[in-house]
Amino acid sequence: MDRAETLVATEMEVGARSDTGCVRENNEDSYRVAPELNLFVLSDGMGGLDAGEVASRLAVDTILEHCRAAEANPSLPLSGEHVEGVSSASNRLASAIRLANAVVYRAAQQATGDRGMGATVVAVRLADARMSVAHVGDSRVYRLRAGEFEQLTQDHSFVADQVRKGKMTEEEAGSSAMQNVLVRALGIDPTVEVDVSEELVLEGDTVLLCSDGLSRELSDDQIASVLREYDDAQRAASRLVDLAKQAGGGDNVTVIVLRHATKPTGAFARIGKWFKNSA
Amino acid sequence: MPKLVLKFENSVLKEMPVGSKEVSIGRSPENGLVIDNPAVSHYHARVFNEEGRLMLEDFGSMNGTFVNGQRVKMVTLKPGDSVGIGKHTIVVSESREMDGFATGNGGARPPAPKINETVMLDTRERREFLQKVAAVGESSQVAPSRLRVPTLIVRKGRTDQREYALNDKLTVVGKSGMATVKLKGWFAPKAAAQITRRDDQAYYIGAADKVPAVNGQPVLHPTKLESGDVILVAGVELEFVFRD
Repeated sequence: MDRAETLVATEMEVGARSDTGCVRENNEDSYRVAPELNLFVLSDGMGGLDAGEVASRLAVDTILEHCRAAEANPSLPLSGEHVEGVSSASNRLASAIRLANAVVYRAAQQATGDRGMGATVVAVRLADARMSVAHVGDSRVYRLRAGEFEQLTQDHSFVADQVRKGKMTEEEAGSSAMQNVLVRALGIDPTVEVDVSEELVLEGDTVLLCSDGLSRELSDDQIASVLREYDDAQRAASRLVDLAKQAGGGDNVTVIVLRHATKPTGAFARIGKWFKNSA
Repeated sequence: MPKLVLKFENSVLKEMPVGSKEVSIGRSPENGLVIDNPAVSHYHARVFNEEGRLMLEDFGSMNGTFVNGQRVKMVTLKPGDSVGIGKHTIVVSESREMDGFATGNGGARPPAPKINETVMLDTRERREFLQKVAAVGESSQVAPSRLRVPTLIVRKGRTDQREYALNDKLTVVGKSGMATVKLKGWFAPKAAAQITRRDDQAYYIGAADKVPAVNGQPVLHPTKLESGDVILVAGVELEFVFRD
């Protein structure tokens, strides 16, 4: 299975691709690109049979639905506690993820037998120059700004916790057999703690959302060099997935690339435009 | 046999048992449980028994169906659940005569599902970790700093205030409308630098349109701010301190 699309959000160029990879039989990742909401969501499902696919799909669809409903009715109640120090858009995003947790949790309770069901989620929402970033699990958001590559999310995984506590080095974490153990995910408990943060969006910034199928196959440097090399967001997304598959493609790979295109600004640009219009 | 108790504010309007036949809910008089209110769709939702479980399904209603405050499409109901439709509430209650509608221990949540190996979640480790964080992190670090307000004091340059308390997760230094630390002057950048509070409750400064310097060192990667650090960006000098 291979899905690809190119869409243009407000001043944002978007590229996205999801691939089953070379080992797995089905794609348990789901993603949604909703430029009309400036919302970009990715989820990596877990669970036997088709449970992972169901979980990730429920997660992304619930998030979109809640944000869309809030767009129509801004007084729609928030699910869970109001987070202090962040915008209402960020609070809405966190609310949507808490709701997604409840939906996946209920689906897991209803699933027959004791096959578990869970999902990670990472979501980005843009409002002018402010970007809300929210996540649960080990799907990530990276940013490339002025050549500097940075991970904006902290994995909710066992090894990431060990590294943060100084009990494990980055290298040990990268080769650990415990890499796939999450300490937080959607669908496991009736409620979940959502990490939410805010970032500034500047012209020229590139933002990458990805499932661990990318970040486990490629190093940060490899990912950064693809984002530096390809100006086109869709081509960058496709190239990242191709490289992850070449490196083994052990898991499903999903990426969303957002690029705030650089526009000429300042007095000279305005004069240039004026000449064009008058010609 | 479970029953549905329709309430408005604190008064009980109607009670309806759910047997083998489903109970449809809506504004239209054909429904089993009629709620005559404009916030309710004509055919809003239904409650039915399936393999001994009581199910609730929302028919894609305009204003939604909520169970214990969360919007739902299709869920299993338990005794004690509160179903919100418009301004009405339907409480799920267990009639005295038992007939296989499992209640467990008086309506408490069922135990968490056993997690299959393929799910790759170790709940025991997760719980232990959360307990440790609660025991160590919260008491020794977070509590004392709560009393102290992270503050930027303007030492040089043109800004709209002399000092700024950092209350938000994102603080922008610049001329932009979203900036907290507002720079003045014709050539001030819209967004010179950004300061973010991360989940460790520490503050990190990073580059935006300008690369700020902290204690004379340019900041290429987001850098944690310590009390007493001096930030220089776009001709403005700011001191980061924790105010009591």
